[in-house]
Amino acid sequence: MPDTMIAAAFHGVVKRFGDVRAVDGLDLTIPAGQTVALLGPNGAGKSTTINMLLGLFPPDDGTVTLYGTGVAEAVRAGRVGAMLQEAKLPAHARVGELVDFVRAIYPDPLPRADVLATARLTDLAGRPADRLSGGQAQRVRFALALAGGPDLLVLDEPTAALDVEARREFWSAMHAYAGRGHTVLFSTHYLEEADDNADRIVVIGGGRLRADGTPEQIKRTVAGRTVAIDLDGRGAAGLDTLPGVVAVTVRGDRAWLRSTDADATVTALVHDRGLAGLEVTGADLEEAFLALTEKEGTPA
Amino acid sequence: MTAGYLRLELRRLARDRAYLIGTIVMPLLMYLLFTNLGALSGQAKQVAAVYAMISMAAFGAIGAVLNNGGQIVEERAGGWLRQLRTTPMPPLRVVTVRAMTAMVVALPSIVVVCGAGVLLNGVRLDAGQWVRILVLLWLGVIPFALLGLAIGHGATARTLPIMNMLAYLGMAVLGGLWMPLDTFPAILRTVGRLLPTHAYGDLAWSIAFGYGIAGTDFLVLGAWLVIFGGLTVAAYRRSGRAA
Repeated sequence: MPDTMIAAAFHGVVKRFGDVRAVDGLDLTIPAGQTVALLGPNGAGKSTTINMLLGLFPPDDGTVTLYGTGVAEAVRAGRVGAMLQEAKLPAHARVGELVDFVRAIYPDPLPRADVLATARLTDLAGRPADRLSGGQAQRVRFALALAGGPDLLVLDEPTAALDVEARREFWSAMHAYAGRGHTVLFSTHYLEEADDNADRIVVIGGGRLRADGTPEQIKRTVAGRTVAIDLDGRGAAGLDTLPGVVAVTVRGDRAWLRSTDADATVTALVHDRGLAGLEVTGADLEEAFLALTEKEGTPA
Repeated sequence: MTAGYLRLELRRLARDRAYLIGTIVMPLLMYLLFTNLGALSGQAKQVAAVYAMISMAAFGAIGAVLNNGGQIVEERAGGWLRQLRTTPMPPLRVVTVRAMTAMVVALPSIVVVCGAGVLLNGVRLDAGQWVRILVLLWLGVIPFALLGLAIGHGATARTLPIMNMLAYLGMAVLGGLWMPLDTFPAILRTVGRLLPTHAYGDLAWSIAFGYGIAGTDFLVLGAWLVIFGGLTVAAYRRSGRAA
């Protein structure tokens, strides 16, 4: 793929905070035009990944590029628009004024009316930006991210702390923008949200890539059943290669096997090590997804 | 980009009641209070009307530029400055616009208090004096504008009130903006003369009372300009790393 077709690329990216490796060797390529969900639980490294993508802090190792250039260069060129977590809107400014201000910073901004309509803010343009409901303020942040007409839109947990209705409105606004061929990267810790709104889901946990595929592929990976057994001091070696097993989580002397074919897994267990403490539970997408992103888990 | 940002900042300030009251209404009221409450009459009253006009204009202008710094703390803590760093606006431009904003917001305090001197307290100076006083009051606020930027990038929401209190009230009182230095004990008088607030006021006082500008005032103010400028650079670099 030529560089111009690649919106963002991470190569062997590492970011440490003290002893913690928040991002631990990330390789990821995002082609232009995709809507990608960065999915992972709190502390998985999502925000750190996004902050490096925006040039807010440099990686300790590896490289991040945007449209084939350095991050700072792409940001200066106005190719990126971002919606950060918890960015408080400035006091005493009206919604429309903030939109105009951001439009004036970018070389090739969207028309004002277009920005307001896309973010469902047309009726709120004259309102003080610091006196809005949570959902409204979030849509203003969204409007500021897209006002400059960026090629890449980056949204860090855009729906955190929003109610159901506000979420629905937010995503319909996001689809309106992505539908015009823009590249969108958003982070979330809800599998359902990623499934509903992305073309591609990238699962990260413990600062590493855990899974990468279409929502269908990811759901297939995390679907299925959990088979739990006692280890009886024999360790977990070999469990990840049993038939059907896609992820292994060990806590103390017990192992949880995420399996796409529980029958085959249990049959194999009978031969390998017996069924002490066997327990088979059904598919719970969120729980399955947590298993996938557990630090001890085997990458799927 | 710069003009648009400056316009946004000025619009926001025009709606900020705390700023308007704190840096325009308060100095004006204090000026009228200081000059009309006491038992002053005749010549003494005229002198007080001129002296306090300059003190309170200076006090208001310093308050305005320090308030500007306080806003930076709020915007750093709230994440707005991080948001700006994801746009094509260079981070240094943000600081430049802040400095320009400071210079604009210092003006209303100066103009309003001097206007009250003329209209309400019958202050009469010749045109040349007015021009020099207004220019010195305006440009003399630059070191304080830098102090505001230094506090803005160095303070946190917790430390801001105490820093502002020390910088604003402390230097204003000790520098003789509230009461003339002559009324202070000798040691405080010496300290006062070394403060930028005194040098700032004294430049304008010397024009108003025609006793000739003291070179030491320029020296003192220049020294503080360098100190506050250095603090600003250090605080800005530190806050950039922590962002």
